[in-house]
This record gives sequence, structure tokens and C-alpha cells, in this order.
Amino acid sequence: MAVAATISQRKRIKRKAPRGFLRRVFKRRKPHLRLEASCDLLVHLNCLLFIRRLAEEARTDACKNKCGIIKDQHVLAAAKVMLKKSRG
Amino acid sequence: MADSDISDNEPTTRTLLRRVLDTEAPRTPRRRQSTRAGVQRTPLGTPFSMRLRSQTKTTAGRQPHRARSIGRLAHIQTRGQLKEQTPRTLLENILLTAPESSMVMPESVVKPVPAPQVVQFSRRESSPGSLELQLPELNASTTLAPGRLTSGRRKKRLRLSEFQQGVDQGLPLSQGPVTEPPGNTGASSLSSSLNLTFATPLLPQSVQRPGLARRPPTRRAVDVGIFLQDLQDTSVATALPGDRTPVATLPTDTVLEDTQPFSQPLIGRSPSVHHSLPYPSLSAERTVSRRTRSSGPGLQNNSPGKPAQFLAGKAEEVDALAMGFPNTSSSTSGEDGLEPLLGGVGEEVEERMEESMSLSEVKEAAGAQASARAEEPEAHTEVAEAEGSWGAIEEKEPEGSSGDKDTEGRTARPELASSTPEFPRARQLEFLEPAPPTSTAVLSSEPLEPLSARLPTRVQTAGPRRRQDPYKMGLSHYAKLFSFYAKMPMEKKALEMVEKCLDKYFQRLCDDLDVFAAHAGRKTVRLEDLELLMRRQGLVTDRVSLHVLVEQHLPLEYRQLLIPCAFSGNTVFPAQ
Repeated sequence: MAVAATISQRKRIKRKAPRGFLRRVFKRRKPHLRLEASCDLLVHLNCLLFIRRLAEEARTDACKNKCGIIKDQHVLAAAKVMLKKSRG
Repeated sequence: MADSDISDNEPTTRTLLRRVLDTEAPRTPRRRQSTRAGVQRTPLGTPFSMRLRSQTKTTAGRQPHRARSIGRLAHIQTRGQLKEQTPRTLLENILLTAPESSMVMPESVVKPVPAPQVVQFSRRESSPGSLELQLPELNASTTLAPGRLTSGRRKKRLRLSEFQQGVDQGLPLSQGPVTEPPGNTGASSLSSSLNLTFATPLLPQSVQRPGLARRPPTRRAVDVGIFLQDLQDTSVATALPGDRTPVATLPTDTVLEDTQPFSQPLIGRSPSVHHSLPYPSLSAERTVSRRTRSSGPGLQNNSPGKPAQFLAGKAEEVDALAMGFPNTSSSTSGEDGLEPLLGGVGEEVEERMEESMSLSEVKEAAGAQASARAEEPEAHTEVAEAEGSWGAIEEKEPEGSSGDKDTEGRTARPELASSTPEFPRARQLEFLEPAPPTSTAVLSSEPLEPLSARLPTRVQTAGPRRRQDPYKMGLSHYAKLFSFYAKMPMEKKALEMVEKCLDKYFQRLCDDLDVFAAHAGRKTVRLEDLELLMRRQGLVTDRVSLHVLVEQHLPLEYRQLLIPCAFSGNTVFPAQ
């Protein structure tokens, strides 16, 4: 599918959704459930938004600590916040 | 120029051009032609058309032409090269400088003085007056083969002649014209014109000038026999990733059989391991014959550096294996024993390589079956120690040390099992797999495992490993997205942390969806469940709807699948 063209990156980020991967994960976790046709796309969208928010959070954490690199403790703290937020 | 110039009965290009020049009203007052009595007014188009159609023929008027041309040349010289570039001047120059030899009477016409380059003539027609290129001495060049057939041919031949000159003089093409003409554009155009000409080589000329062959073929012909053998071998192996493309049959072939086991180094990739294991599926003799045959060319071809430089450490084991395998007929047991070891070693390499190894392993697996078992015990030990050295070597940057290792690896390895060479050609370098065959499970799992090698668990834990790998891969896909969104450098540990968070997130997601579907009394998760989830997460609000999010973050193809849209024929897709 389309490649991230907006921001030039050394590594091209693919916008393709790993549909098979998502379906497989869901099937493994909940074998008794079935996933509808395009639901995995929305799941992918959900993941994208989650990761986006997580990245923002981690970035602010790192900047707060005046760190030029995102370290795992930043990520951990950000994840705690985000998982709490996206409790559903 | 008097009209007597055009005394030829046959319309040659030269005469036509002359006619044009003479008859056309000069554009500038400086035109020489203006002084002449250019009475005849022939339309400009017809001479061109005639020229295109006509064939140059020898005419009696050649001599007077030449004399006149010389005089003309002198005249032009007096005027210097400063006259502005117009089609007329260019044509004139062509007439003056172009050799007057004809197809029928090939002769060396001497153009005594450097004249403006005629090369640009063809291009000039398209873009008149754009070039100001001066030919180098065309004295010798005009002795081109048969005279011009047409004006177009003339131009091309001139360019070729110019090139030939350059070739004879040993000058690089680009330099030849550059030195002469003052204008860079001319030089570039000349070179480009030369390139153009060679893009469409005239057949007779190319035949006559074998020296114009620019490049010797770099590839060797594929050895059909070896190729077929490899096909057979690969057919034995079941799961073969098909992304292997034989880069160069012969080099790899020779690499495997040679003292230089590695074919050309991978670009940017650490050297590929080339199969040390001979592919004795068919017969030892065959491998031996292949080795001997390919050793010669292989040496030359693979001189640039075998890819598996860091495999120098494995030279010893490779040697042992090479000796062992081809000599023995078939040893299935040995292959099992060697598999894990070699597989492990290969796996390490595969971290860097990629699936290329799987192919090689497959081949080796197939080949190992035929290999003898007797050598295995020794090979085992050697492999073991080689592994250690290999692991150490692997630490180093393959590319960096490749050069050194290459040479020593090359010398150290006599002919590694080049038997399975053709097939693993894949990424140019197969890495040297001391252990020949790997189980198919290993093979299939190997491509999925970009992470550190698991030497011992390769064969045994095929099942659970399989489950792990694609899952990890999917998570790493999202982790990459994370680093993209973060726009900041990240540590590796941070990425692993992200993957763990994603794992937890997926768990929660599935649980929530389960709950929602059960709440709605369904066993299938639907879009409304997803929307409810996003609403509860705060992503979808009264102001921001799901469709907006879809439009913002998903590519168009997915959006078409998700958002119902009306199409022609009173249809809505996706149907609701």
C-alpha cells in the first residue's frame, strides 16, 4: 500500500495494516469469537492511535527529563498512563 | 559558391545541402552566401526530403567539390569560429567538413582543418543553433567505412568516427570532445550524442568495428547442468522461500567449489555465506568436476572479495566438511548431526543475512543426505570449534573486516561444498554453511527469525518458536511505528518495552471486544463494538467521529472498505 510520503524518512514506514497478524492474534486469544470483515482494520486504527499517543507521552516524558533519547523508563511511565487512559 | 557547384546530376546529400545553402536567402548580412549569386530558390523542405531519400553516390563532381570545399574551409577559417550558430552555418560546416567519400567509392577524404563538429548536425536539426561543438581533427576519422548512405547516416558515422578517433587515441570519450570545443555544452552534447549513437548502433558499422564493443560481458553463461541439478536438489527440500534469486550462477558456483567459497560480496549486507557444503546429491564426481571447472573462472570472478569474510574462521571446518562431504556418498546420519551445529552457525550468520540462508540450508540439507557420514564426527568437532570462532568473528562488522577475511578465507577454504552453489546464489552470497542441511522446520522458521540465533533450539523447538516469531514480527512492526511517531532517537530497550506494552494492550483489546460482543449477545465482533471501544477510550467523541479518524489515519484503500460510500447504479459499498 502507500508508503509514508509525508515525512521523508530513511526508513519508509509502510501504512499497510498487518491484517493477518491481527486476525491471528485475536484468534489465539479468543478462539470462540469471530472477527468481522473489516474489523481488523479498525483494530489497526486503534493500535495506531494508541501508539501515537504513547509516543507523544514518551516524548514529553523524555523532554521533561531533558533527555535526548527515549529511554525505557520513559516508555514505561508513558505506558502506565496510556493503559490507564485506554481502559475502555 | 557558385551554382556550378551543383553540377552533379545525381542528388547527393552534399549537393542538396549545397543547393540549400546557396539558394536560401541568407539571414544575416554576414552570410557568405549573400555575396554569391544564389539565384535559385528551392524550397527548403524539398532538399531535406530529397536528402533523406537520396543515396549518396559518387559523382564526378567530387573533385571540384573538394577543391571548392578546401577553399571554403579556408574562407571559413578566416572568418574564425565566431560566426553565430545558425542552421545555415551548421549545414555549411557539415558540407565542408564532412568527408566526401561515398558509399560506392570509399575513400579517405581529408578534411584538413578542424571544422565545426558535424556531430551536432542531427541534433541541430531538432534544436538549431544550440551547439557549438568543434570536432577534433577528423583527418583519420574520415576514413570511415563506406560512404554515407544518408545524411542521417553521415551524422552518425561522423560521431562514430570521432569516437573511433578517441578510441584510437586512447582518450576517454568525454575528454575527446571536451578538449577541442570551447563550449561545455558542446562537449556534453557530443558525449551524449556519442552515447546516443551507440544506443542505436548501426549494424554494418558495428560489425566492422569490433573495437567499439564497449563492455565485455560480465556474466558467465549459466551452467545448465548445474542449474538442473540444483533444481532437483531444491525440489527435494520442501519449504523453500522463493525470494532467493541466483545472482550469478557461475560465480557462486565457482565460489562454492573454489578456494574462494564466497561470491561477490553483498552490497551493504554482510557477506553471504556460501555453501561450504558440497552438494553431493548427484555424485561426488560431479562436484569435483564442477569444482575443477569452476575453480578457474571462479578465481577470477570472485576476486573482488568473497562475501563471507567473517567466515574466515570457519575455513577449517569448511575444509574438513568440504573434504568429507564430497568424498563420501551419502550420509544421512551425518547430516543430522551436523545440522544443528551448522544450523546454529548458519543461524548466526542469518541474523545478518536473511533468508538467503534458508535456501542454502535447504540445499545443504538435500545435499547432506548424500554426504558421507564418516567425516561427520570430525566435521562435528571442527564445526564446533569453527562455531566458536565464527561467533567471535561475527561480532565484528562483517563489512569492515570482510576485505581481510576474504583473502584469508579464500585461501583457507579450498572448495567448500560448492556443490549446492547455484541455488543458494540468492543474495549473491550465501553464507558459508558448514552444516549442510537443516531441517525444513528450521528453514521455515529461519526466515522469520531475524533475532539472535538459537543454536541448540533450532531443530527441537520448531513449533513454539513459530508461534513466537510472527507475533514478534507484528509487534516490531508497531514498534517501528512508535519510533516513527516519537521522532526522537530511542534505545533498543525502549523498543522492547514498547513491544511489551503493545502485548498488554492487545490483551486488553481482545478482552474488551469480547465483553462488548457478549453484551450485545453476539459471537462475532462487529464494527459497532470497535466504535464503542474507541468511544470509551476517548478517541471518538461527539466532535470527532469514527469516520474522521478513519480518514485521518488510514490509507485510502482501507477507508474505502470502512466508510460506506455511494456508487453509481444506486449501490453503496460496503453494503450495510
